[in-house]
Amino acid sequence: MSNTIEVTETHHEPSPNKGTIINTIFRVCDITGFKVDLRAEKLIRVNAVAAVVSLLLAVVAAILLVFTRYQPVHLLPAEWYYRLVTFHGLNALIFWIIFFEIAGLYFGSTVILNTRFCAPKLGWVGFILMVLGLVMSNYMILIGKADVMLTSYTPLKAHPLYYLGVILFAVGALIGVILFFGNLMIARREKTYGDSLPLVAYGLMTAAIIAVITLATGAIIYIPTFLWSLGLVQNIDPAMYKLIWWGLGHSSQQINVAAMVSIWYMVSFLAVGGTSINERISRTAFVLYILFICLASAHHLLTDPGVSSAWKVWNTSYAMYLAVLASMIHAFAVPSSFESAQRRWGYNKGLFEWLSKAPWGNPAFSSIILAVIGFGFIGGTTGVIFGMEQTNIIVHNTIAIPGHFKGTVVIGTTLTFMGITYYLIPLIFRRKIVGMGWAKWQPWLFFIGIALLSISMIVLGQLGVPRRHWDATFSGGPFTYNFNPAVDFFWTLMMLGGSLAFISVTIWIGIVVTSVFFGPRVNGPQDMQLKISPLAPPAKSHKGFEAPGTLVLTLIFLLVFLALFFLNWKWLAATWNVK
Amino acid sequence: MEMNQPNQEKVPFYRMIMDDFMLLLFLGVTIYAIFYLLWGVMELSNLPAIPDEIKKPLLK
Ligand code: HEM
Ligand SMILES: [Cu+2]
Repeated sequence: MSNTIEVTETHHEPSPNKGTIINTIFRVCDITGFKVDLRAEKLIRVNAVAAVVSLLLAVVAAILLVFTRYQPVHLLPAEWYYRLVTFHGLNALIFWIIFFEIAGLYFGSTVILNTRFCAPKLGWVGFILMVLGLVMSNYMILIGKADVMLTSYTPLKAHPLYYLGVILFAVGALIGVILFFGNLMIARREKTYGDSLPLVAYGLMTAAIIAVITLATGAIIYIPTFLWSLGLVQNIDPAMYKLIWWGLGHSSQQINVAAMVSIWYMVSFLAVGGTSINERISRTAFVLYILFICLASAHHLLTDPGVSSAWKVWNTSYAMYLAVLASMIHAFAVPSSFESAQRRWGYNKGLFEWLSKAPWGNPAFSSIILAVIGFGFIGGTTGVIFGMEQTNIIVHNTIAIPGHFKGTVVIGTTLTFMGITYYLIPLIFRRKIVGMGWAKWQPWLFFIGIALLSISMIVLGQLGVPRRHWDATFSGGPFTYNFNPAVDFFWTLMMLGGSLAFISVTIWIGIVVTSVFFGPRVNGPQDMQLKISPLAPPAKSHKGFEAPGTLVLTLIFLLVFLALFFLNWKWLAATWNVK
Repeated sequence: MEMNQPNQEKVPFYRMIMDDFMLLLFLGVTIYAIFYLLWGVMELSNLPAIPDEIKKPLLK
């Protein structure tokens, strides 16, 4: 810690009745110049560690699932398949992602805003509740008392402690979100930032607002279900359950999107000194998320008979497209901020020199670029198509659905979170990254693995293979179905992709754990392995458009999207042949 | 309130909205609660019950 300056500041709280004095210990980061509240730093660390543990649990289950669905191996017995589908979904989608997001919210509301943490003790209460919830739910799943899968659709019933675990976790997370807003208020009152929140913090604020919507909906559905499992409530209507549960299930994914996009902007800033070429539009896009993205929850009920077409179409088309528009704005704004900065650094030749001369040796940078590509081309295209009432019917309840969200929450959010961790290790854990050589190609391996996994799941689904199904050959069943012979090829591809992704996550966890616990300490800028770029210089001359390369890439994306869109309608037409 | 200098420098209207996270939170919750939750719940609760002659055989 030789170069770390420790500062003790005394804050006189403007509280009239008490006039308490709070001693806050900051360190001033010798690499970034940020003031870091040491109490926030500890909380960021423990939440990040819990996230990594959850991811490990999730992928161990995942690889067993892959080799169960891969029929030549067909590893697990039926009940363990469903148990681990539950376990995988919960640990990956809820525990890994939300622990990491809480770490991100604390980082964004203290370090980035140069401010102190409002109530660290409460932060610990939240953390302990979340850990307790994780242990409780996971234990109930593993002893076979909660084979209900992530969605726990009624009338499937789990042991009350399973629901209680989820509720405790959610309460802990809610405390984290409230503390985030508390930190924002302190920062605003103490004027630690300029006129408006920095864009990254603004995006995290968007995530936090959506988290409030999500957690409130979660309370509405999990508390009655918990009481029902205790026998205190007679009946939970399955249609009503599904409606409200997806208000939680879908909205929670939009926390991820907002957090992920914020990190994209942050890495552009850290790696090449890039800023959004139009901040106001980027902010507007975040506001569109807040206003409209949660309505799209309705795409999970597109085949449900109880709700009307008017409700479905309003919520999944008109309203959702405003949120899709927001994603397209970000998907343009992030690469163009890289491009614009790179051009200003002098990589100005042709359409793509900015890309070929990009800092590819920086694993955070490559993670983010790959995440943008994967999220757009795989998750984004299929999201819009599967979220439309007509074309949804082709893939409903098939393995194409998990294929789609492997393209959003895994190749997008998870890869982004893994990428930013390469910055957190030196800046927050103050350790050098051990195994930089491995770190450089880990994101690529993950990208290739998940892309293969995701695309083959999507194709399998289009060919009619169901999701959450232990034995899609229906052997011994009262009926059989002859799949298109192409499925064998895609099953193999899926198994390969899943294995590559598993290996990549193992490498990442290996790097993170060795660095954080055994890595050499970072004593100053000289130990920083990843570049922190100064702000890109202003443009020398203004001629033409700032980011032509990004524009070309966007056009390619739109063409791919149109082709897929057309194909799906074609398939739909072929499904019901009208003569 | 004491620290504000009223009307000294006009903050543009869009910035006022965009920087007010309580307002955004309120709008986000309201739009979603009305269009997704309330509308959906109303539709589901207005469904006619299953006629008994269909329901009985289904429940064994
Ligand atoms: C090595 C990486 C991963 C592999 C190989 C993998 C593989 C799988 C497989 C085989 C399924 C079961 C599909 C089925 O039979 O219906 C599945 C489901 C799922 N995965 Fe993953 N996965 C990985 C990572 C992740 C991550 C990082 C997340 C979330 C952040 C995630 C979220 C989910 C969810 C939510 C489901 C659906 C569970 C359900 O149907 O209830 N996965 N995954
Ligand atoms: Cu959704």
